[in-house]
Amino acid sequence: MKKILQNIYLTLIIIFLYAPIATLVVLSFNDSKTRSKWGGFTGKWYISLFKDDAIMNALYTTLIIALLSALIATVIGTAASLGIQAMHRRYRTFMMGVTNIPMLNADIVTGISLMLLFVACRFTMGFSTILMAHITFNIPYVILSVMPKLRQTNKHTYEAAMDLGASPVYAFFKVVFPDILPGVLSGFLLAFTMSLDDFVITHFTKGPGVDTLSTKIYSEVRKGIRPEMYALSTIMFVSVLLLLILINMNPSGKGHDKARAEKTMSNRRRFGRVLMTRVVPAVLTIVVIAGGFFYASRTNISGKEQVVVYNWGEYLDPQVIKMFEEETGISVVYEEYETNEIMYPKIQSGAIAYDVVCPSDYMIQRMIENDLLAEINWDNIPNIKNMDETYMKQSQQFDPGNKYSVPYCWGTVGILYNKTMVDEPIDSWSVLWDEKYKDNILMQDSVRDAFAVALKYLGYSLNSTDLDELNEARNLLIEQKPLVQAYVVDQVRDKMIGNEAAIGVIYSGEAIYTQWENPDLEYVIPKEGSNVWIDSWVIPKNAPNKENAEKFINFVCRPDIALMNFEFITYSTPNKAARALIEDPDIRNSEIAFPSSEQLADCETFRFLGDKNDAVYNELWREVKSK
Amino acid sequence: MLKNKRKLLAGPYLFWAASFIIIPLLMIVYYGLTDKEGGFTLLNLAKITEPENLKALGLAVLLSFVSTVICLLLAYPLAMILSRRNVNQTSFVVLIFILPMWMNFLLRTLAWQNLLEKTGVINSVLKFFHLPGWEIINTPGAIILGMVYNFLPFMVLPIYNVLAKIDKDVISAARDLGAGNMQTFMKIILPLSVPGIISGITMVFVPALTTFVISDLLGGSKILLIGNVIEQEFKQGSNWNVGSGLSLVLMIFIIASMALIAKYDKEGEGTAF
Repeated sequence: MKKILQNIYLTLIIIFLYAPIATLVVLSFNDSKTRSKWGGFTGKWYISLFKDDAIMNALYTTLIIALLSALIATVIGTAASLGIQAMHRRYRTFMMGVTNIPMLNADIVTGISLMLLFVACRFTMGFSTILMAHITFNIPYVILSVMPKLRQTNKHTYEAAMDLGASPVYAFFKVVFPDILPGVLSGFLLAFTMSLDDFVITHFTKGPGVDTLSTKIYSEVRKGIRPEMYALSTIMFVSVLLLLILINMNPSGKGHDKARAEKTMSNRRRFGRVLMTRVVPAVLTIVVIAGGFFYASRTNISGKEQVVVYNWGEYLDPQVIKMFEEETGISVVYEEYETNEIMYPKIQSGAIAYDVVCPSDYMIQRMIENDLLAEINWDNIPNIKNMDETYMKQSQQFDPGNKYSVPYCWGTVGILYNKTMVDEPIDSWSVLWDEKYKDNILMQDSVRDAFAVALKYLGYSLNSTDLDELNEARNLLIEQKPLVQAYVVDQVRDKMIGNEAAIGVIYSGEAIYTQWENPDLEYVIPKEGSNVWIDSWVIPKNAPNKENAEKFINFVCRPDIALMNFEFITYSTPNKAARALIEDPDIRNSEIAFPSSEQLADCETFRFLGDKNDAVYNELWREVKSK
Repeated sequence: MLKNKRKLLAGPYLFWAASFIIIPLLMIVYYGLTDKEGGFTLLNLAKITEPENLKALGLAVLLSFVSTVICLLLAYPLAMILSRRNVNQTSFVVLIFILPMWMNFLLRTLAWQNLLEKTGVINSVLKFFHLPGWEIINTPGAIILGMVYNFLPFMVLPIYNVLAKIDKDVISAARDLGAGNMQTFMKIILPLSVPGIISGITMVFVPALTTFVISDLLGGSKILLIGNVIEQEFKQGSNWNVGSGLSLVLMIFIIASMALIAKYDKEGEGTAF
């Protein structure tokens, strides 16, 4: 009876631990791109995974960092354990205290402290900084698994070996090392796993173009994870699981003679040990190194011309990059960001030099005002003739004289609603304050967008700097908070497709895609007016490859490329030649993608309001969020 | 002489620890105590007393405290059951808890969204059986669940390790002397497992206190914890001084947990691995 209860308890815990993993495995076979919809069984992600350079690169970086950091940490850590063991008690306590710091310290503090160090030392953030950070937090795991084993070793055997004429090194490897080997191995394995699983510390110490799986996934979280990620995780998990089962296989059958069972057991264990100590590391090393060469040969060939592009997440068809590389021979280093506010400090600090960036209107104005942008040489961008004049004119609002920016995408902010979940026709922001839809509303999780909604609803300008108006908007947002299901950025898309909410505030470009996936959804620009925005390519002043940057911008302005891109990201293109090429008239004349000028009558473009007003907005937003 | 030579082996680590553990911490102290122009100030530390930040800290302490208690209550019986099973299986037991880490932490947490959402797996099952739905996503409850899920192994493993090390003879002796199950547990097992419990508590409480990812993914960004505030100061507000100041406040908790470990787990018995 007691045994049964124990087994039930164990089973429940295992279910708890492995339920999310099972979910991910199931998702890896899901035909639909969105997480929240089951589109039938497919194995295609497993195939496209191996063709996806970005993911395979991240995987390779992850593995090689895990392997190198675990190896180096094991060497330093094991040596350190031996040294610490020989120390006087007081120093030993001190050293163990220091060792405990990275273990106990919050990841976020460790990550930030290392970032501050790297910035102060003017290290370029990249592969090596991540590696150093990982070694730092891996060493303690090694020390903490070697120390207990070391304590159990018998001092006298070592001394005896020395008495019999062995040199200290020889005696160590013959006598001490075999005893502590299990500790060293488990330390290595642990370090490897921890490095593999780390996100926070990598997040703070990474540079552009370098991604581990974790940071890659984090940048995808807001847009929706690509299913290839699930497939990759499933492969990794299953291979480790198989390995473990192999090593720990139990002698099967209950009727077995116990002695025999024990004998096979020990055979298996010996086999397992050989596997653990020889085969696994060998296979791992081969895979990582081979993978490294393979993907290194396909991507960054050193000494070649390159251009560093810093763009919004999922905002460019990867095929476009490939075609650009093939046609021009310039290799593209591609890095993504989630919001303007995250991008800005990176450019401003100048720690990382990008060639092409794609900020929004108000952020471009801010960058111009702070003298961060280089003037574009229009002679190098003949394809600008394809651009609709309207958008060049509109750009003058934030870029007077069209000196710095080339329009890339534009759109509006509006309400996406589920026709089956709302009763009345929706045409006003007021629906976001309707008690009926409590817990069914998705609100934008960025300062300016959230305040724009409230300010417009109140009838004010969304560029208001009037404190009374802003306070009124803040109070309105606080009033709204109990009704809001979640504050999200790009997750609105997946959640609305999955029928998680009735109403969401969304960018028009996402609306078309959501309608493809879920025909019950409808998009509307509220009658009070809204935000109309333009994202444009700009070149930072410190760009090292300005001419390549211009070649890149010119390339994406080509009608066929702009069309390809529009079909991939579904954000409205300002490229009139590309629009003319759209085959489907429903889309070419779609009011969502290309709203008429009447619909845009009350819409405004964001302007940069100055650092002081920015701080006011941020402060008010924090008050809303923490209420 | 020989011992002295052996001590030198700790040299590389000492160097490493000084440059990548000690100096970075001093950098945080420096940033935390200066303003943007580099002058000394305590204003960054004082930021914690602003009502929003205080609330974020309070909520973080509360949620991580509850998670730690739940972890302890779940983990102790689990560790006891496991420690009484076949001793040869130690590595297997440990690996069962480490294995999930081979699937990315973010993906695992994200998978909980799938499970918990209003139209998610759990609610669909409940609905199928005509049971009332479980509206937990985007609430503090979901964050606690995420914390318990992610940090449970760090509670189980140290407790398991100390329990497995308890000499069976000690327990037999207690029984020979007439102690019942309860008495044996209270007088022998529990006191002997204190180092593991303390180590487990610190290893769950501190990461739970400072997380910003779990609250982001499972709390719908509606619930701001101190980790979120600090992350925003660094990555969005780009005010490193305030961020460092707030991190310094967090370090108080870390120092407290180090003191706890130094007091109850002098020989490092309660390590997780």
